[in-house]
Amino acid sequence: MELLKHPRYVDESKCIACGACAEKCPKKVDDRYNMGLAKRKSVYVEYAQAVPLKYAIDSQSCIFLQKGKCGACQKICPTNAVDFTMKPTTETINVGAVVLAPGFTPFDPGRFDNYQYLNLPNVVTSMEFERLLSASGPTAGHVTRQSKDHGEPKKIAWFQCVGSRDQNKCDNSYCSSVCCMYAIKEAVIAKEHAGDGLECSIFYMDMRTHGKEFERFYNSAKDKGVRFIRSRVHTIDPTPDESLNVRYVGDDGKAVTETFDLVVLSVGLQTNPAVVELAKKLNVDLTAGRFCATETFAPVATSRPGVFVCGAFQGPKDIPQSVVDASAAAEAAGEILAPARGTLAKVPEKHAETNVNGQRPRIGVFVCRCGINIAGVVDVPSVAQYAATLPYVEYATDNLYACSQDTQDAMAQIIKEKNLNRVVVAACTPKTHEPLFQETLIAAGLNKYLFEMANIRNHNSWVHKNNPDLATKKAKDLVHSAVRKVTLANPLTEAELNVNQSAMVVGGGISGMAAALSLARQGYATHIVEREAQLGGQARNIFQTAKGERIAEKLQEMIQAVGNEKNISVHLNTTLTQVDGFVGNFKTTLASGGSQTTIEHGVTVIATGGKPYTPEEYFYGKDPRIMTSLELDRKFMANDPMIAKAESAVFIQCVGSRQPDRPYCSRVCCTHSVDSALQLKERQPDMNVYILYRDIRTYGEKELLYKKAREAGVIFIRYSSEDKPKVSVNGGKINVQATDHVLGWPVTIEADLLTLATAVLPNRDEQLATFFKVPLNEDGFFVERHAKLGPSEFATDGVFLCGLAHYPKPIDESIAQGKAAASRAITLLARKKIFTSGQVASVDPMVCSSCGVCVSVCPYSAPSFIDASARMHAGKAQINAVLCKGCGLCVASCRSGAIHLKGFDNDQIFAQIAAINWD
Amino acid sequence: MSDWEPKIVSFLCNWCSYGAADLAGVSRMEYPPNVRVVRIPCTGRMSPKFALAALREGADAVWVSG
Repeated sequence: MELLKHPRYVDESKCIACGACAEKCPKKVDDRYNMGLAKRKSVYVEYAQAVPLKYAIDSQSCIFLQKGKCGACQKICPTNAVDFTMKPTTETINVGAVVLAPGFTPFDPGRFDNYQYLNLPNVVTSMEFERLLSASGPTAGHVTRQSKDHGEPKKIAWFQCVGSRDQNKCDNSYCSSVCCMYAIKEAVIAKEHAGDGLECSIFYMDMRTHGKEFERFYNSAKDKGVRFIRSRVHTIDPTPDESLNVRYVGDDGKAVTETFDLVVLSVGLQTNPAVVELAKKLNVDLTAGRFCATETFAPVATSRPGVFVCGAFQGPKDIPQSVVDASAAAEAAGEILAPARGTLAKVPEKHAETNVNGQRPRIGVFVCRCGINIAGVVDVPSVAQYAATLPYVEYATDNLYACSQDTQDAMAQIIKEKNLNRVVVAACTPKTHEPLFQETLIAAGLNKYLFEMANIRNHNSWVHKNNPDLATKKAKDLVHSAVRKVTLANPLTEAELNVNQSAMVVGGGISGMAAALSLARQGYATHIVEREAQLGGQARNIFQTAKGERIAEKLQEMIQAVGNEKNISVHLNTTLTQVDGFVGNFKTTLASGGSQTTIEHGVTVIATGGKPYTPEEYFYGKDPRIMTSLELDRKFMANDPMIAKAESAVFIQCVGSRQPDRPYCSRVCCTHSVDSALQLKERQPDMNVYILYRDIRTYGEKELLYKKAREAGVIFIRYSSEDKPKVSVNGGKINVQATDHVLGWPVTIEADLLTLATAVLPNRDEQLATFFKVPLNEDGFFVERHAKLGPSEFATDGVFLCGLAHYPKPIDESIAQGKAAASRAITLLARKKIFTSGQVASVDPMVCSSCGVCVSVCPYSAPSFIDASARMHAGKAQINAVLCKGCGLCVASCRSGAIHLKGFDNDQIFAQIAAINWD
Repeated sequence: MSDWEPKIVSFLCNWCSYGAADLAGVSRMEYPPNVRVVRIPCTGRMSPKFALAALREGADAVWVSG
């Protein structure tokens, strides 16, 4: 691959992100990160959290680069990092796989004349509103109007589907999937900020809250007073005070005009034209909506072998789904690269560690000037002099840049010369620089935990620049606290643990098989445990995918691939009876037909799937023509004559979903029914087909299927949860009664087939949850580590999650998550050994009262009771250092004071508090 | 009394509020220098004893954030 690298005109290896350049730069330009709502300088960092935190010069606006004059940044830069002579460079790299993650571009509503985005200052996009809501945004999170009055809005309206589900005004007929949820979130946050006085209204077509926990959020937004109006606004007229008259047609068909102070356009996601070009260059196929084309059973593979895709370029999607895709794409690339694993790895040099046990503390304090960043405000020499007077401090100095390589070398030298056994660096934040200084300690033969940082830049000089005296006093306090804390520090050890190089996948459905195949293809012995007599799970009951692929054939291929894979052992008719151990070393007892075996494995993937709801409503079970979606699929597969004979078919959506006792959307049913309706139309074009729905949730490009169904003559009738359809069977006919949402009149449909789009239920496997110490939510689905960033793993290390056991999802997403769970598991397996942190909790068994509070509060399942039959400390608590994340919850919760957190022990924190001089 | 400022000890979670305080610095926000931050690994580590110790040692207020 040939890469073109644009110059940033700032040497990354020299830039210390002090910001002096941006302060001096005379050129102000629109801040793209803040959607043009604020200004930034020509030399800039894109946003405060940017990684790496290094400045760059925007060549389009830089006065020097455009006109050859200025160069103020170059003159002020304390490290001579600015280099105007940089040129674009090309680099050729050899790679075995490519992952495309170019993301999306928000739709630009400027071309819509009816919303007048370009003319009316109080019409903003949702992206702009995100910046207004953000604490780090241009208004520090305080929402104001963009007209000159900058008033606080009292009424805000959101317009959904701007640039989505729209073929008339733009070419984006797909649903952008994420806008309903982000609009609700924006409305709720705006209300939280502004208080109950703020009225928020969302104008929508179908409310699409099909993600995990999203329906609950939607319901709670309604409870909080967010108004939902099902209408597409056609016109906005400005008022003299720059408010906006919004004209729309209400649910009752009457025209309404309402005035809002601010209108937010919920803009959709689209592929950037530059990415379309890139796709051409790379020779990968796109879909009708200009997203990357993929197949259901290979959801992250592009049309070109070896090139994979993830995120919104694969289709409009939210963060959790993008994270799933990302792991899946990494896994797919890993399958190709597995033979080369570790071949480019470098082994770090080992340093012998000095034993400092029993030594009197000898502390070295290094106070950093950070150029002028600290020294410009804080009197650094006086802080160093003060440090030298503190107990146990043997050496104190100040440095121009503590992080520079020469200072690091000098520091290691001083540690050795002065025989120091503890170090304090007063500089920036430990969150970015602690590992660097710890490396220096290791190089000097000291345990890395004999170290402490005092944050006198980010928490001091940068925020108190108009108060140098008090900032200097604060710096002394922070240094004193760090010295007192490090005085009490002990060398800590990081335990080493071998990871058993094999995996167990619980559940042999689509996602379980996808996970197992991924693990096996990357070279890991994998066991699939399936309680049924065959593999395949619920997929065996489904006819075809939304893209029209026949599932039975694909499933058969997958089952065959599992059978042919030498690394996979399949255990059918098998259940788990006991699980011992933890990450890296699980021991699971399997029972099958009266015999038991024990399997050792390093990781576990839970893929136990779900099941369909069995309806009690709508006469289900009393007439063979009334069936569930899966039963209709069986009839499709069997070419049942019932279908050929039918003249009229009705689908009822949300059967068992979005109910008070089951307040979640089952995600797959809208698409399934629309697809089945089309299948009926295809087989019997004259058949009258009706879908009774609450909101059609054909998200992403599945929207095209919905459009196709309408074009094919499928009739969609909306019903409300208060006025559900009524079903009766008399005289051989099924009568379905509903209220027509357009006319408001009751209609009765005579149906020959009635399909109930039933909810996807979890298996609510409480025993499995107990075995692997993982949680279930109220609905009975497993709870992942993080709703957004950790969707395919548990908080408990070594246990991973995919498929319907996580949440209802279609086959492509199940396969992606199966691959994702495997990918996350492989990050552990590939390490072969895991090292625990030194900063973990430990129990003093002599003080422990066996109350069990630690066992119940720990989110990572690290504490447990020592076996009752143990020779020592039976029944007392113990903490597994491998599972402990060092959060200290058990320490604070322990009623007996028996638990200590190494590195953050009580005496250390008390000493820090006592060191503060408030006089 | 009008220029009285409380002396505050803040216990900040390493993963969120401590990082937020870092970002306040990166963004050059200004606030009064009468707060001393104690970094804790998680607010789960916070013990009532720490709050009492801070008040005993002369703080007027304790702020726990995470």
